[in-house]
Amino acid sequence: MMPLAILLGVVTFAGGLVWAERRLLALWQDRYGPNRVGPFGLLQVVADAIKLLTKEDWVPPFADRALFVLAPALVMVTALLSFAVVPVAPGIGVVGSNVGLLFFLAMTSMGAWGVVLAGWASNSKYSLLGGLRSAAQLLTYEAFMGLSLCGVVILAGSFDLREIVLAQRRVWFVVPQIVGCLTFLVAGLAAIHRLPFDLPEAEAELVAGYHSEYSGMKFAMFFVAEYVGITLISALSAVLFFGGWLGPVLPPIVWFFLKTSFFVGFFILLRAALPRPRFDQLMAFGWKVMLPVSLANLLVTGAIVLS
Amino acid sequence: MNALFWLAAAVAVLSTALAISRPSPVRGLVYFVVSLLAVAVIFFLLGAPFVAAFEVILYAGGIMVLFLFAVMLLGTGPDAVATERQALRPRTWLGPAALGLVLLAELVVALVRRGAAAAPGGMVGPERVGLALVGPYLLAVEIASMLLVAALVGAVHLGRREEGEPR
Amino acid sequence: MTAQYIPLVVLLGVAGVLVVTFFLLSSILGKKNMTPTKAMPYESGMESHGAAGVRPSVKFYLTAILFVVFDVEAVFLYPWAIEYRSLGWAGLVMMLGFLVVLALGLLYVWKKGALEWE
Repeated sequence: MMPLAILLGVVTFAGGLVWAERRLLALWQDRYGPNRVGPFGLLQVVADAIKLLTKEDWVPPFADRALFVLAPALVMVTALLSFAVVPVAPGIGVVGSNVGLLFFLAMTSMGAWGVVLAGWASNSKYSLLGGLRSAAQLLTYEAFMGLSLCGVVILAGSFDLREIVLAQRRVWFVVPQIVGCLTFLVAGLAAIHRLPFDLPEAEAELVAGYHSEYSGMKFAMFFVAEYVGITLISALSAVLFFGGWLGPVLPPIVWFFLKTSFFVGFFILLRAALPRPRFDQLMAFGWKVMLPVSLANLLVTGAIVLS
Repeated sequence: MNALFWLAAAVAVLSTALAISRPSPVRGLVYFVVSLLAVAVIFFLLGAPFVAAFEVILYAGGIMVLFLFAVMLLGTGPDAVATERQALRPRTWLGPAALGLVLLAELVVALVRRGAAAAPGGMVGPERVGLALVGPYLLAVEIASMLLVAALVGAVHLGRREEGEPR
Repeated sequence: MTAQYIPLVVLLGVAGVLVVTFFLLSSILGKKNMTPTKAMPYESGMESHGAAGVRPSVKFYLTAILFVVFDVEAVFLYPWAIEYRSLGWAGLVMMLGFLVVLALGLLYVWKKGALEWE
């Protein structure tokens, strides 16, 4: 039952997130946003889902059919699978694995294949360029995502996310690992190519990047997977650096929900506030700033833990 | 457990065969990734979840993307497919295949003589890997870092465009 | 040891079924309507010329090699990090040696300009 409940929770949360983002962006840009369908426009997501379901199931004749269909499914399934290792509250979670953190990293690198294959299978210039860019960006930012989490692993002495939460009973890891936290947030945003790291789908240069040729339900898979990804990175930030379900008075699951929502809101604010960098700036930032910073953070953490 | 192992093994062998025989290079790569994932499942079932995770992160995620870039650099169009078909003609692969069979026979004989490998002693968690790396294998780890740097330097020089060379 | 992972397999199954169901539903509910323009790759209204096989810059290849190198480094760092507390100063010194060599490599690549994308 637990896997079903988690899956349902994640998809519902992601759906709500689509609505929340549109409303919040509208608020910050002095517009209304969706407010007609249902109370406060809440049913807009349902209406959109029905619309997308009745759109044509289109595979371009020039595309590689099998891979074209496989790619969006791969992106969606890996995003959902990552939630398996996220502990929501004591007793709520799919598996407690002693390689939980590594499982998340593995799923992230598999999700990258979905994007690259989408770009290649589309057999269209913009799509291919978007896919290649995406691959290079993901590789760059994955290289230090793992390193940025090493500090947490040193402090907790485990890859099990449950144990990592329990190790934060005295102090949240954001305090000793503020640098690790920041680098993880940047890497996480890049991994789900969320603004300001959405260069693989930069509409001003690449039409819609790797999903230019996608429409209907297959496009919706990429779209929903992005929101599932935001939820995932928010939940992981809460678990790894902000004590997960730990907190006074309120029940654990409420704390987890509140902390995750806080990060979701923060990511939406970033989208509203930040411009998009150039591709060369993005790559240089990854290799020349983030990678050395995470290496230094690791060594400093190591020295502090011992002394 | 045993059934799962055989299933994963069958997937690995089948997808490897397909990876070799597909004429489209990218299709071949996708089957290669499937094969690596199947091997990861086998590692996991044998009680080495740590190795399984890195099989996915490093091989299926990292090195295969490197292969993909290499394949794309060489071109993936109809020309590449034609070349690939050329390479798949019996005359091309019969020689290597015969030599491969000799090795396979040797392996089978060795396995039969020594009996099936005993089940490994329980689960090898990440902690034990860590202790082994900084204990008996310390020197190997340090040498590995030099090897990695050598790879890095080599790649930079191979990828560099000489002055005046056309793009 | 494998029993605890059964929910993970269930999750994989459910997620797969979810995706396939949505794809099937859309192929049943959606109307089919083929037009000649739809059969062309989208290039902002311009007619498409030549194959899509763009030959990527060699930089992509270099980035991938850099990634593999630093990912292998992470492979060595993870087991080290998990056992760090029991290793003590010896562990720190050992990793310092490992990291310094790689940092020098990164510095070399940086100075050679391989990190610049023109």
